[in-house]
Amino acid sequence: MDVDLLRGLVESLRGPGVEYVEARFHSNRVTQLLFINGGLATAFKSDSSGVAFRVIYEGGLGFSATSDLSREGLRAALERALASARASSTRVKSRVRMSPARLGSARYSVLEVKPLDSLDVEDKIREVGERLKTLELVKEPVRVTSYTVAYTENIESKILVTSDGALVESTVPRVSILYNISASSGDRRANRWNMVAGSGGFELVDRLRFDEEMRDDIESLYINLAKAVDPPRGKMDVILSPEIVGLSVHESIGHPSEADRVLGREAAQAGLSYRRDYREPFIGSEAVTVYDDPTIPGSYGFYLYDDEGVPARRRVLIDRGRLAELLHNRETASVYNTESNASARATDYRSEPIVRMANTYMAPGDYRFEELLEGVKMGVYIRKYMEWNIDDYRWVARYVGLEAYMVRNGRLEEPVRNVVLEIDTRTYYSSIDAVGRDLEFSAGTCGKGEPPQPMPVWMGGPHVRLRGVVVG
Amino acid sequence: MSARDLGEAIVGRIRGVVEEYIVSVTERDSIMVKYANGEVTVTQSWRDYIVYVYLAKGGKMTASRFTARDPGEAVAVTARLVDKLSPSPLYAPLPQPTGKPSSALDPRIRESCISGDPRGLVEDFDVTPYGNIAGMVSLEYNNVYFIGSNGLDAGFETTSYNGYLRVFRGDDSGQWAWTSTRYDVSLAVRAAEKALELARLCEGLPKERVEGGVYRVLLSPMVAGNLLESVAYAATAGSLILGFSFLQGRRRGDVIASEKLTLRDTPLNDSLPGYRSFDDEGIATRDKAVIEKGEFRGFLHNTKTARILNEETTGNAGWILPRLFNIEVESGSLREDEMLEALREGIYATNNWYTRFQNYLEGQFSTVTRDALVIVRGGKPVACSKRARLTGTLPELLANVEELSRERWQIQWWEVETPSILPHILISKLGVTAETGAL
Repeated sequence: MDVDLLRGLVESLRGPGVEYVEARFHSNRVTQLLFINGGLATAFKSDSSGVAFRVIYEGGLGFSATSDLSREGLRAALERALASARASSTRVKSRVRMSPARLGSARYSVLEVKPLDSLDVEDKIREVGERLKTLELVKEPVRVTSYTVAYTENIESKILVTSDGALVESTVPRVSILYNISASSGDRRANRWNMVAGSGGFELVDRLRFDEEMRDDIESLYINLAKAVDPPRGKMDVILSPEIVGLSVHESIGHPSEADRVLGREAAQAGLSYRRDYREPFIGSEAVTVYDDPTIPGSYGFYLYDDEGVPARRRVLIDRGRLAELLHNRETASVYNTESNASARATDYRSEPIVRMANTYMAPGDYRFEELLEGVKMGVYIRKYMEWNIDDYRWVARYVGLEAYMVRNGRLEEPVRNVVLEIDTRTYYSSIDAVGRDLEFSAGTCGKGEPPQPMPVWMGGPHVRLRGVVVG
Repeated sequence: MSARDLGEAIVGRIRGVVEEYIVSVTERDSIMVKYANGEVTVTQSWRDYIVYVYLAKGGKMTASRFTARDPGEAVAVTARLVDKLSPSPLYAPLPQPTGKPSSALDPRIRESCISGDPRGLVEDFDVTPYGNIAGMVSLEYNNVYFIGSNGLDAGFETTSYNGYLRVFRGDDSGQWAWTSTRYDVSLAVRAAEKALELARLCEGLPKERVEGGVYRVLLSPMVAGNLLESVAYAATAGSLILGFSFLQGRRRGDVIASEKLTLRDTPLNDSLPGYRSFDDEGIATRDKAVIEKGEFRGFLHNTKTARILNEETTGNAGWILPRLFNIEVESGSLREDEMLEALREGIYATNNWYTRFQNYLEGQFSTVTRDALVIVRGGKPVACSKRARLTGTLPELLANVEELSRERWQIQWWEVETPSILPHILISKLGVTAETGAL
């Protein structure tokens, strides 16, 4: 895409009432290999490229996107964005504005040790397929009945030009491996789906160790189906693994900290936020600090400038138990009379940039895992989950353990099946009395927006210990 | 250049390189208006070209998707990719096409979408009477053409008008949705009125906490649509093969639901945006029961999955794996207002989201209610609760269908992706877990 063409289009739209113009070329080049039971079933290729325009006209916001990249096609899309903004302006009470921001003029890309474009697909098929051959699918009495693996690479390239001076070009390649394993033991059946992912090149297939993850998940299914006993019920201490802590911070502090959600702009879709109504300064114990950071190298949610051209930085969502920043794009920052903290992200050319998380995680503390255990007289350790959800106010979440163990007198004992932790956000963060010194991330695809915008993110944290919460 | 001409140009690049192909070209124009806090937040429009290419050679196959008007060399690159693959366990030869092209088109939607001017959509539906309202209304026009090495050479046009609206009255809210192939602003008005009615219902009732336990639960079409879409998806053979189906091991004729339940896949219902007269392999589609009076009527197939399971295609081909077109649940005998009386004691869940499966193979799920959650005693609404979780398994849910309403609604939204026609459904037993730690 010709940067000058985009710049020319943005500059061409001047006149009374036009307050902001933005053009974003956005390309996602995807290759996906689908393996069923170890064999390659098919390969998918996708090239989604287009340009999105946003225009603010007399406080009304208009958006238009097209995959017609001809000069005429782009000109028509820009005119439609203006027509949309004019239509919006007739029905707004609160005018849309962009907060002032230090905007980037930059070009960056994620370096690939093994560039995705330089390798032949046959090598990729072989590399992934060979690892699948090493899986052991039977551990009596549990058998893996089927498994599917989707290797996906996405080279995302963008050029952003705004009427107030941003010019950012970026290329971020990503690799993800998503799998589902079904297993049975007699009449009992269970499945585990999981994803490992990051930004970078084909070296991630080595680095992400998906085959080790799959082996570990097969073992978890074995424990669940063949070894685990009924879970405990009642009030007890709970130790959660990084996998569950990561998911919980994403769901119960990341999402509710999205300023557009607090303002009600997602009310009919992804919902509202307790941060609209919560009046206490503290949401958790002093042990709890949560960040969202797009700048972590190699992360699945990596970026250096957001999709409005604002330089990325780490955001503090909970600071030693105290509620801290909201996640802002320039539109919501303007409402709060503050600065954007670079949270605007768009999935593809068809998507408007909205407030999104990047890599959300709880900061590690001082405890070794053994020290967390030592303090538990009676409790449960949940290592992996198989189901979760949370209400649209982000207040009460549910996590169901795939692999979990009883803890008695500081020792891990028998595995328990499908233990349920259903807990409100304040109780969850307030009950954490000790935080591990480890830090692990899991990959996820976050959902929000209309049309829906799946977004790559990491979610992470250390092991944590909760005191006296209800299980079962 | 027409969609067919574009398709021909693409075929020219792959003919002779592969043994089999299907190319589809879609020209899509769409408009959307989004609302929050009782005002327009953004008006959007799209003009897209979407090219799908299926290629096969020697039992190897690929599928590709391009958004360029003419993907040019990219298609040839994909064609060369086929040689590098191994034969697929999913492969089956393309069938002879049997379908005839047919459109479900509202010319007014086509004109609005192609013009790209959203003024009409913004001006026709006035949200101000509803106070604090959020949601969206959307128009879409698709001009689609298929060309295949199996002789498929057919195109059609489709239009849709759909949306969803959530109305707030203080802390109470209601939400409703609609979908149609035709433009009728009264559908938006009716959805807004329904959302407002539910919000007002709870505004006027005391608040009560739902205690955990097993309840009689009345599912609105919004909730029924979400859960039954999971049932219908589990009936696609692709879901079975990928290990996501609780119907694994089930055969045609097995009783899997209450005899009151009949659930159909209805591609030929031209009032629903999933209308299609032929599938992605060119096979004529047909309306068919997935569950008929409680009996499982078999998995939904394309020729690929049908070959694996030694069955016949049901005309449900999507791109590689089978797909759903539209879902319809047959109506029952009770009027909507009689459903609350039939519920007697229990809860009326009007909306839900975030359905997750603890175990796909057992169909073990939980889902979170949102908006009006009504506690019913003596057949009357007596209180509302904030939120609760519905938990159970899909087999139990199906077995416990007790009554269905006569009135049905055309629903499609975030949590009901497949256009659906649904009644209210009364479930005799369903697990409910309580809200904790109210803010």
